[in-house]
Amino acid sequence: MSADVLVIGAGVNGLVAAHALARAGRRVTVLEQGAASTGAPFVGWVPPQVVRELGLDRAGLTIRHAEPWVSSALPDGTRLELSVDIAKSQEAIKRLSPSDAAKWPDFAMRMRRLAGVLEALYVQPPPDVESQDPKELLHLAMVALKVRRLGKEAVIDLLRILPMSSAELLDDWFESDALKGVLGAASVMHLHQGPRSGGTAFNLLHHHVGCPAGVFRQPASNVRDVLERMPGIEIRRGATVTRITVDGGRATGVQLANGEEIAAATIVSSSDPRRTMLGLLAPGWLEPEYARAVKNIKCRGVAAMVTLDLKGAAPFASLLIAPSLAHLERAYDDAKYGRASREPWLEARAEGNRILVHAQYAPYAMRDGGWDDARRAAFGHAVVARLLSAAPELTGAITVRDVVTPKDLEATQGLTEGQAYHGELTLDQILFMRPVPGWPYRTPIASLYLCGAGTHPGGAIAGASGRNAAHEILRS
Amino acid sequence: MATTWDAIVIGGGHNGLVNAAYLARAGRKVLVCERRPRVGGAAVTEEIFPGFKFSMFSYVVSLLRPEIIRDLELPKHGLHILPLESTLTPMENGDYLASWPDHDDTRRELMRHSPRDAEAYDEYGRLMHHMAHAVRPILAMTPPDPTSLDPRDLLTLAKLGGHMRGLGAEQFHALFKLMTMSAADFLDEWFETDVLKATKSASGIIGTFLGPRSPGSAYVLLHHYMGELDGVFRAWGFAKGGTGSVSESIAGAARRLGATIRTDAGVTKVLIADGRARGVVLESGEEILARTVVSGLDPRRTFMELVGEEALPEEFSADIRRFKFRGSSAKVNLALDALPSFTCLPGFGPHLRGAMSISPSMDYVERAYDDAKHGEFSRQPYMDIEIPSLIDPGMAPPGKHVMSIFVQYAPYAVRGGWTDAKREALGDAVVNALARFAPNIKDIILHRQVLTPLDIERITGLTEGNIFSGELALHQLFFLRPAPGYAKYRSPVKGLYQCGSGTHPGGGIMGASGRLAAMAILEDHA
Repeated sequence: MSADVLVIGAGVNGLVAAHALARAGRRVTVLEQGAASTGAPFVGWVPPQVVRELGLDRAGLTIRHAEPWVSSALPDGTRLELSVDIAKSQEAIKRLSPSDAAKWPDFAMRMRRLAGVLEALYVQPPPDVESQDPKELLHLAMVALKVRRLGKEAVIDLLRILPMSSAELLDDWFESDALKGVLGAASVMHLHQGPRSGGTAFNLLHHHVGCPAGVFRQPASNVRDVLERMPGIEIRRGATVTRITVDGGRATGVQLANGEEIAAATIVSSSDPRRTMLGLLAPGWLEPEYARAVKNIKCRGVAAMVTLDLKGAAPFASLLIAPSLAHLERAYDDAKYGRASREPWLEARAEGNRILVHAQYAPYAMRDGGWDDARRAAFGHAVVARLLSAAPELTGAITVRDVVTPKDLEATQGLTEGQAYHGELTLDQILFMRPVPGWPYRTPIASLYLCGAGTHPGGAIAGASGRNAAHEILRS
Repeated sequence: MATTWDAIVIGGGHNGLVNAAYLARAGRKVLVCERRPRVGGAAVTEEIFPGFKFSMFSYVVSLLRPEIIRDLELPKHGLHILPLESTLTPMENGDYLASWPDHDDTRRELMRHSPRDAEAYDEYGRLMHHMAHAVRPILAMTPPDPTSLDPRDLLTLAKLGGHMRGLGAEQFHALFKLMTMSAADFLDEWFETDVLKATKSASGIIGTFLGPRSPGSAYVLLHHYMGELDGVFRAWGFAKGGTGSVSESIAGAARRLGATIRTDAGVTKVLIADGRARGVVLESGEEILARTVVSGLDPRRTFMELVGEEALPEEFSADIRRFKFRGSSAKVNLALDALPSFTCLPGFGPHLRGAMSISPSMDYVERAYDDAKHGEFSRQPYMDIEIPSLIDPGMAPPGKHVMSIFVQYAPYAVRGGWTDAKREALGDAVVNALARFAPNIKDIILHRQVLTPLDIERITGLTEGNIFSGELALHQLFFLRPAPGYAKYRSPVKGLYQCGSGTHPGGGIMGASGRLAAMAILEDHA
């Protein structure tokens, strides 16, 4: 068989790129290693541009913000519940600190404005700061102008806050440990850093895009499902790509695990950059400089997904256990030295007779031997212990079903180091630095493109990378 | 009130003195008011124990701006820098890593640890050299205001953008990485030898409240490369006679140019009338009037204490209140009966004439930070050690020595607060940590002085004992130092200027702030 375009991976970014290219008249086949659709909701921002261009709303897209968006367990057994409604959140915060409650609306407004700047930057290719092309210079000037039009306070907030640690930012505003814990957890999501590390304030803002003011958890949507169902592209499941074939510096097709070879004029990979460029390409095609830059992409997976079997009804829809910044920081300290957190921070979500837990930190690289069953079990127990301390009514009702560590994610899904975002979202790996400087979606191999979360703007955003990549492909 | 001065400079630290010298050079009638009996601020030499002289706080010189040395003819006034050319890092396994004045020796030494790193080292050195070169002009410029629509600001911004773009892709990206990465991550891209990375990253954490694995720490790697002369780890130097002689030489130049310097003249208040600075009030109650008042003190002390919030716009006060100081460094000064002997290189040797770095591994340095992060001083601190008396024999009696130990981390806000007992416990921790590598140290100590951040604050006045007058974190640099809109050495109070390290480009014995502030004043009163 053959196609104009082969897209590797049927994640949201791969599918958006595929549809965008199909709409421009290309014959597109998506190759997905998974045998069946996961059916899990996508959590993250769905940019309106993607919705509009692909007509996702007509195709049945639903986006839902949880209400309350967070329910955080407090040491005294009560919960801090924050709402989409700012006044309601204020009431909840007042119980912990009247001063924090008073500041909440202003904080919400200031952060929202900054997230708006990120949103504007995220739906276009990264600005090319080195370009001498007058069009690109104009583009740069427009970006600068847009930012400045937000006013003095916003410009200064942006420059000041992005490199800060979230702990510094939050300490500037608030006194309540519980409130800072809620925001601090978002600031280290999928990051091998603690809240006292620089750049975590940016990560907080990154996870604020697509949210209303005062909401720091991104919405869940059926976007993946909608993209899978939409006509116009072919999705082949159970098709694991093992090699991208190259001839004369041009990508010519792919080879599958079953030995099948498929030719195509254009290959678009939504796999992470390290896996695509170093794993799927035969060695030797890349210049050492580029290969080194790709190898240096920081991609340290830190989160485990723990599934618990639940007898009876769940006492909560969701529960966050991240009582303070100090607690988050200590959880990180363990990971820093290659250990799983003894007291991980976690967010549990009830789903029927299961509880799904995002637990951090479970670092990819464990010291003194890697992940094994004993360590997985120990981490599962640590998660259960944390959960029981906050929800004692679950005693006897939960058992660990499954612990998926970053190592497992790499083994089963080919995700380098099990990093969910295909590359950490640190300041040195965003915008024109992502995935590597000078190569935003193109690669040194002609007709091979990257379109996954490893490119600008990165993870937790539905299809922005895929859309930007498709535009780049259509332009050239 | 007999005389009215053109300018009063509050604080006779090196920046205040540089400022005064430049103003005097332009014909202004300048008075410097220093609270202590001697000038220098944190750059002072004191005979702490009879016969033993110490650069009490700041101890090495490398960042002093060359144009200042030239303009003020400092060598004529006694400035004499002696090179500090080698670094020794003892390792836990009894081995060591050294860098030597001779490039080939250093290369051979690195080869012993990793041929790959020896290769990478030259390339790294070249890149850092270029980076430092690229950043140097920024150190010598007044930061533009990115929110201003003033054509001069726009022009400076455009020029800055042009300068950055002119670096070329490789250097621009490297610079961007340096500004945003952790020292550990940045060095991981270059080297594999743990002790090399530990020693290099340690220079990235000096005076900050960051660990080597925290983003933002790579920038300080560069800051400490600025003074580099060639490919060695850090070509820093001692001032003959201690860092106090740097201050003395600047004071000498200032006096020669016509400035008056009063010591034992602490300022308690900036006199303000009709929204304008009119002069100062001394501890004695004496009022001195001037057309211009310049503060070399840190921003919190200047604005929160000497000016007072009532005279300031609320937004500016809020910015100054949240400007971060968090002193994290201590200093231990030892008078020694003999020289220390390191297990890895026993007895006397050229390594004792250079820097000795207690940074045996990345984990060691990172753990030192963990203690501080959770409110304790490092049980096993990172230490930068020198023996100035080996280079400048005048610092100690014949046969005896002085040892300077810079200690990181000792947080200002240590849990339970600093007490005499805790200070001594810190001193013990320092000596014990050193004794692991130089076991004879305990037997040769004649006297010991331990200076915690609280002591540094009490003696020098530096808020929270921060040696840079405010942390050198990315969000406190350039046009954000010390507050947006007021990074150009001016202040919300007319006639009041800032010239200390709390302004761009920040700490180290650089003098750039003092000079740039003088330019600003002369521009306003041309």
